Amino acid sequence: MKHVIYIFLSLIFYNGHAGALVIGSDISEITIGANFSGQDLLVFGAFYSDPSLPRDAKGDVIIEVKGPPQTVQVRKKKSFYGFWLNSTEVTFREVPGFYYLTSTTEINDELLNKNSISLLTPQDTQQIEWGKIRMPRDRHDFLNAMKRNKNNLDLFAVSNDLDEIEILDGNLFKTNIPIPNTVPIGNYTVSVYLLINSELKQDYSYNFKVKRVGIESMIHSLALNFPVIYGFLAVVIAGLMGWISAEMFRRLRKT
Amino acid sequence: MNIYLPIAELSVNILLILSLGGAVGFLSGMLGLGGGFLMTPLLMFIGIPPNVAVATSANQIVAASVSGALSHWRQGLVDIKMGMYLLLGGLFGSITGIWIFQLLTSAGQIETFLAIVYFILLFSIGTLMLIESSQVIRDRIRKKTVKRKMHYHNWAHRLPFKVRFYSSNLYISVIPPIIIGYFIGILSATMGIGGSFILIPAMIYFLGMPTSKVIGTSLFQIIFITALVTLLHATSTFAVDAMLAFILILSSVVGAQLGVIFTNKFRGEELRALLAIVVLAVAIKIGTDLLIQPADVFSISVLKELY
Repeated sequence: MKHVIYIFLSLIFYNGHAGALVIGSDISEITIGANFSGQDLLVFGAFYSDPSLPRDAKGDVIIEVKGPPQTVQVRKKKSFYGFWLNSTEVTFREVPGFYYLTSTTEINDELLNKNSISLLTPQDTQQIEWGKIRMPRDRHDFLNAMKRNKNNLDLFAVSNDLDEIEILDGNLFKTNIPIPNTVPIGNYTVSVYLLINSELKQDYSYNFKVKRVGIESMIHSLALNFPVIYGFLAVVIAGLMGWISAEMFRRLRKT
Repeated sequence: MNIYLPIAELSVNILLILSLGGAVGFLSGMLGLGGGFLMTPLLMFIGIPPNVAVATSANQIVAASVSGALSHWRQGLVDIKMGMYLLLGGLFGSITGIWIFQLLTSAGQIETFLAIVYFILLFSIGTLMLIESSQVIRDRIRKKTVKRKMHYHNWAHRLPFKVRFYSSNLYISVIPPIIIGYFIGILSATMGIGGSFILIPAMIYFLGMPTSKVIGTSLFQIIFITALVTLLHATSTFAVDAMLAFILILSSVVGAQLGVIFTNKFRGEELRALLAIVVLAVAIKIGTDLLIQPADVFSISVLKELY
């Protein structure tokens, strides 16, 4: 089952300079129900040619999807007398629960850093609790380990595939961002950046929500907001199920 | 077909969970054990976070032990007084266990702790079961009958605070049952087990209870201990996954009934020997995971925000 979320973007330029954006969009929500197994998020839009720009100006887009911030602990295992046990630990704050970056062109780090397009912005990196990790190389290992582990869960990716964003008719673009079944709930931001000759000209952000629905949502909110009631209910339901099954099978065996 | 687990926050194959619950239920029905000692590690093998595996397993055992205790209750094979003293210890034990569990979780060592205790537990159970079943098989071949002692007299009979347990026909101190209950409570809260395989021999050898009353009484106290552990986990670690528990209970009760039917048609010793090998295999897998260098020495965990 492939649900699609449409985000209509139109990037309009007027008066000779890259100016305002006009955006139309429909409801954007991803709902997690009992059978949620991930979905594709369709992002698409259009560029319009700007008469003030030289004819050979090259236009590119960067699309970034950021999930709600989380606190992530990264632990490193060490061998203690042959046993592999967790030892050092680093706490990253404000890490997007989901991060996806894709682009039609090779993008340099300078551009990304200048515009805070990354998993962790410079402000976020100041909040990292490094603990006993002092060496820059070790810190780099921890940061990479966090990205690698999140990548394994499909929660972090920087796509190298320049053809992932499809260009239609020279001025329409679209791409599918895979949202896995492990995504955290919360507010997400889709940012589309327009580059002209590798210079950032325009950007637009759009929000969507990932939320639980149905019984999933009921169980989750009950468990967190009314843990005592939830615990009692869990026990009572289990007890009743045990009792009913015992009775049922006793009667079955008699007949 | 996948189902999304709201507390574990991941989507799992429902058939995998159903067959896991069914298989553990089948084994427990066949052997008369709760099966929590296999449920928790198997849940962790398929990727359920350790806290959810432990808390949800405890919740599942509530159903399994209610189901089992009822038939013993009907036959009058429950020593309620003894069960109450065990529960008294278990109450404090499970609170201590939850405290240990939270301490280890915040220190990032809960997985290692569970791996070590489960390795020790499963390795000893597997070995003991293998020895016992092979002896029975050997004795049967030699046509030997083994005489068993009816009653054990030991230090438990010399401690103060003696109380008469009419149902079990005992006059012993209340200290040993309370201490035994306490340790079972700790095990239950930290490992997500009922602990009957430790409780039953302890009741026979330390308390000298008659074997006929032992299973019913242990099931009786396990109902309340696992109920308490479920409640404590729900309020402190927020890790009880009602959806997962529901599927596990549904499949394990059916599995348990099939296990009972199956065990009446086949010889117990061979089945126990087979299960001993399965238990040893799980133990060895857990043990080697501790010793072999992991593919990635780094691991991540997301701190749960409570909102």
